[in-house]
Amino acid sequence: MPAHHRALLKSHCFKCHNADKQKGRIRLDDLPFTVTDAQTAERWQKILNALNSGEMPPQDEKPLADAEKTDLLDDLANTMVAARRLLADQKGAITMRRLNRREYQNTIRELLGVEIPVGELPSDTGSGNYDTVGANLFMSANQFEQYLALGRKALDAAFARALAATEERYWRYETEAISEKVAKVVEDQIDAKARAERWVQKVEEAAARPENSEIVAKLRAEVNNHEGRFRRLWKRIPGAPSPESFGFQTKENNADKANRALASYWLPYHQYYLEQPGIDTGMYLALPTEHPSQLENGAISFLLPWSFPSGVKWPAGNYLIRVRAALTGQGTPDRRFIEFGVNPRGNQSLSVHEVTGTMESPQTIEIPFFFGDAGAERADRTLYIREKGTHDHYLVTRLLAKEGAKQMEIGQGRPYAIWVDWLEIERVSDADRTVPPGLAALGDLPLDDEIKKPAVPALERVRTSFERFAKEAFRGREPGTKFIDGLIRKYQTRLSAGDHPVAAFKDCLAIVLSSPMFLYLAEPNLETKPRPLSDLELATRLSYFLWGAPPDLELRQLAANGELARPNVLTAQTKRLLDDPRSRGFSDAFTYQWLGLHRLDFFQVNLLKHRRFDNATKLAARDEIYETVAFLLRENQSIANLIRSDFAVINGVLAEYYRIPGVSGDQFRRVPLPTGSPRGGLLGMAAISLMGGNGEETSPVERGAWVLRKLLNDPPPPAPANIPQIARLAGKVLTTGERLQAHQDEAQCASCHRRIDPIGLGLENFDAVGTWRTQNTYVVKDDNGRPIPGEERTWTIDPAGQLHNGPKFKNYFELRNILASKEEEFARGITEGLIEYALGRPVGFSDEAFITVVVARTKQKNFAFREFVHAVVSSREFHTK
Amino acid sequence: MKHRRHFLKSSTALIGLPVLNSLGFRRFASAAEPTTPPKRLVFLGFGWGITEETWYPDIKTPGPDYGLPAGLKPLARHKKDFSIVQGLWNQYSVEGHAGSTWWLSGANKFAQPGQSMHNTISADQVAAEQLGLHTRFSSLQLNTSESGEAAGHGPGLSMAWDRNGKPVAGLNDPVAAYHKLFSNDATPIEEQKGRLAEKRSVLDTVLENARSLQRGLGKDDNEKLNEYFQSIRDIETRLSKEEKWIGVPRPGAPIKEPRGGVEGKGSVALMYDLLVAAFQTDSTRVITYRQPGGGEFLNSIGVDVHPHDMSHYVTTKGEKLAASQKRDLTNSTLLAGLIDKLKATKEADGSSLFDHIALTYGSNIRSGHHLSNCPTLLTGGGAGIKLGENIVLPQNTPLCNVWLTMLHGVGVPAERHGDSTGVLNQIRA
Repeated sequence: MPAHHRALLKSHCFKCHNADKQKGRIRLDDLPFTVTDAQTAERWQKILNALNSGEMPPQDEKPLADAEKTDLLDDLANTMVAARRLLADQKGAITMRRLNRREYQNTIRELLGVEIPVGELPSDTGSGNYDTVGANLFMSANQFEQYLALGRKALDAAFARALAATEERYWRYETEAISEKVAKVVEDQIDAKARAERWVQKVEEAAARPENSEIVAKLRAEVNNHEGRFRRLWKRIPGAPSPESFGFQTKENNADKANRALASYWLPYHQYYLEQPGIDTGMYLALPTEHPSQLENGAISFLLPWSFPSGVKWPAGNYLIRVRAALTGQGTPDRRFIEFGVNPRGNQSLSVHEVTGTMESPQTIEIPFFFGDAGAERADRTLYIREKGTHDHYLVTRLLAKEGAKQMEIGQGRPYAIWVDWLEIERVSDADRTVPPGLAALGDLPLDDEIKKPAVPALERVRTSFERFAKEAFRGREPGTKFIDGLIRKYQTRLSAGDHPVAAFKDCLAIVLSSPMFLYLAEPNLETKPRPLSDLELATRLSYFLWGAPPDLELRQLAANGELARPNVLTAQTKRLLDDPRSRGFSDAFTYQWLGLHRLDFFQVNLLKHRRFDNATKLAARDEIYETVAFLLRENQSIANLIRSDFAVINGVLAEYYRIPGVSGDQFRRVPLPTGSPRGGLLGMAAISLMGGNGEETSPVERGAWVLRKLLNDPPPPAPANIPQIARLAGKVLTTGERLQAHQDEAQCASCHRRIDPIGLGLENFDAVGTWRTQNTYVVKDDNGRPIPGEERTWTIDPAGQLHNGPKFKNYFELRNILASKEEEFARGITEGLIEYALGRPVGFSDEAFITVVVARTKQKNFAFREFVHAVVSSREFHTK
Repeated sequence: MKHRRHFLKSSTALIGLPVLNSLGFRRFASAAEPTTPPKRLVFLGFGWGITEETWYPDIKTPGPDYGLPAGLKPLARHKKDFSIVQGLWNQYSVEGHAGSTWWLSGANKFAQPGQSMHNTISADQVAAEQLGLHTRFSSLQLNTSESGEAAGHGPGLSMAWDRNGKPVAGLNDPVAAYHKLFSNDATPIEEQKGRLAEKRSVLDTVLENARSLQRGLGKDDNEKLNEYFQSIRDIETRLSKEEKWIGVPRPGAPIKEPRGGVEGKGSVALMYDLLVAAFQTDSTRVITYRQPGGGEFLNSIGVDVHPHDMSHYVTTKGEKLAASQKRDLTNSTLLAGLIDKLKATKEADGSSLFDHIALTYGSNIRSGHHLSNCPTLLTGGGAGIKLGENIVLPQNTPLCNVWLTMLHGVGVPAERHGDSTGVLNQIRA
């Protein structure tokens, strides 16, 4: 705590809180200004709380001057953050940890060659630390049982995949079947309408009979002369025929069916469809019209077959979906993407694809798809193709229909943008796949638990399989005889209970996958002082750092030969691991946590307000962050590109969204930016803008705090409790800047917000979904969220400002330049993150020297991304337990 | 086995043991004599919503002085003892045909991309984790509904979803439920124990591995591994609870065995009786009931409108509306009968079951496919809920805030539930 604040305490506090007088049993005159123990920290915390809540100084005492109070609070809050960190310093101790959720999934994948859904397990993120920090990775009874069940599931999937390794399947779905359905619906609608008209005529004839006039008048009055509802009462009109006699046969009151058939609202649009070319060989992705059970032509849903046409089940494994499609030329240029996904009821697709083919020369799009569970239920094997953004929300679909109708001569529907010729599903043979080590360990034991009258393998062979499998699962550690004995006992119990030997075998292997040696990354050390890692431990640490997965054979062999720790070998291996596609297990996982991307899922984007930011665009925007980081890592470019760069890593969807011309295709790639583009760097990414708001409006406070935390490595203290809320501005028509100005009027607010708000306001040109804007509007809303007419104001955004005690900026570009000039702070932030992530423990004050070394070393290489990794991997800390 | 016994002896786990020298039947099923009558939680779900025009009190007359709408008239004698809460919803609910699946969890069905079905723990199961410690059954799930599709409940086996968001099976037959509660298991005790032993052998094997790993670990790492040991211990505790109750005779039934083959309205009355009996004997403290509301139910009250069409009465009114209203009246009458019984059944200290129960009656569906202003009726004195009022909350208040408030009310201090944002002081007395 800076010493100059002592004068302030002396003049305002000591009178009541001194050696003789201790009001509220608080004494302040002997309070140390250096916080080195928890007791002192608690005493300072009380002061902070009392000042923040306004409790102190009391009403009848002289108040603190605003400027002094602001500075005091600023320093005190930051002192407390530093003190807490100091007191929590583990001094380099690394707690043993279990595999976190993603590592568990990756480890199963490496061991057994199958990716299983792990959504049931706790996510292990969100504790404020990285998901590798052992102290935060807990275990529970529930979770143990989940591991047991998930392990069994993974084994089922792996065995099934191995049994079906060489199976090839193929099915083509000709989409003109949908055109035929449209034709059939048109036919039916015309027929039903005619029948309904005939029925109506007969009912009216009956109603017109003079002898019925009394009852008809009564009935008409009952339904307020509503024609449709009048006809529902046909039974009470003597001589009126039943709707059933005109073919309307359902369980409901069939008059409803007949009444509806009279209208046949979508008939013109359906007829229009039939006039299009190419419907005899394909179909058009249309607007959804009828209930999907009647007619589904807004999307193509197709089942991954159960056992059709061969009668043999389609196995799990790698599949390719091919779509032959074309642009019709009738849609606007932005309408050139299709979404692919599983389960049409969901609104988040798996991938988005650009269609570039033409009607003359259609194109075939190939989409890889991993089908994990051969027994998946119908919904989970129903795949779909649909036009991007047409199925995100029913209100959006309704708007599309409204807008589309204006472009149509028939006054309804929407022009067709995309034509689809056919779809193919192909299972790709696993014949070329390296047998995953877990399965290789089993030798040639039978894997099929559906075989009747199975051969029971000799117990010795089973035992050997258990031993090898366990050693593989335990990443090279010996499982121990007693453990294997236990498995054998269990196996025999199950056999004598009449279980199928393969099923009993799998049950036992599932126990291996729920055992601590599999679930925990242990580095035993009975000594109180640190010890160097063994080579095998180093291999494990390295591969979980750079892959989030277990060491492969090469790493394990180098470790076994005692070569891995040699600097040149380690550097080469680090490079090899980073070059491997599995390094996405590092870059994606690290990026998600480092930048706090969980916030992307905090809220639903208001799709009616932000029409262009549909779900598919959000998916691409999220990927942009991952792809950019992966690009920098792959190309070993400077991390400073994340603050400002003259390129963006985008694909066709995002180029369309950012309105950057000349980019086509689904692959993310480096695209040079036109001069003056606000893109290039994290702040120009739509997903980052989205996180700094609520999906509808921006939050300059959220954005400013994020920049301080992530780019400047100067995190504001956590939001304090009990600060009086500013309520006086509710319902007033103010600009965002005017509203935030109120923060500066209260010392409790200003102490942090003077740092936060100017940065956030400097980013106001990005709206809540990252679109560039120059104006903003505020509308006062009533209690029900409805805008109050007239209570509205529009203004030109003024991003100009000044960093607290720092340089001024006129606009976003100048602000970005200022941030870019602070690349060393940014490098420090990423270094701290990498250390915590790699070592699995929080970074503390005792790491100062370590951090400084890494930053200095990477600075010489212009902060090239891989230098950070090499610096961490070669550090003494990385080699020490 | 030696290992495990040794291990259990050293464990600090508390296992609620049944008290055998009971004074009366009511404590046969519970572990210990509570000093005050225990709090109990009930959720009754009825699938396809209600008739909104005639079920909700006017939002312009909030508070105690509201006129009872036609659909609630059968509850008139209890008007001071229940509240209707308006303005609630589950923001993530999207299924117009699912009145129950996400009702008690507030989860987002599509939270997992590419997966067709996601759910999280239901409020009753949160309560059962605590309130279920000392009773034979942690919770009971009753279900005499037609299929979830037919009755507007949506996917699920009962109203309950476990901690992993998986459906908890329900008791579909009043006769079976009766036997589960009051008939003793005829399976030889040895066989029952054999099943438990099988489960334990798995635990023994992983414990062996844990001990190997433990060798050489320093203090902090040992503490970490202790979590694993604790997990295994917790499972042991649960298995032990099952084992301990194996030999304990069930309480004498305060009601006679129900008739078999009763469907629709009749099954509701039977299950309500069982619900009261289960509480009376302290066999459990948490019950959910997925009530029928499909064809069987409508047939049993003389209505032959298709249940789904009934809930879409708005477009055509007529007999669909009439059916919908008749359904409401029947349900309200049944509920009024249940409240009568809860009030009439006395606890040891002279208070009534009603005084200690927290009962919610409602659905995720209002009517048609409307999933906002979910019908919610709260009754019973167990959770400190304000009774006798038409409580109008701001539109789209999280339903999970009600669940959180109920949980706190019965002494379960959950930090949050589903998408809750906090307890609702407006519904507390």
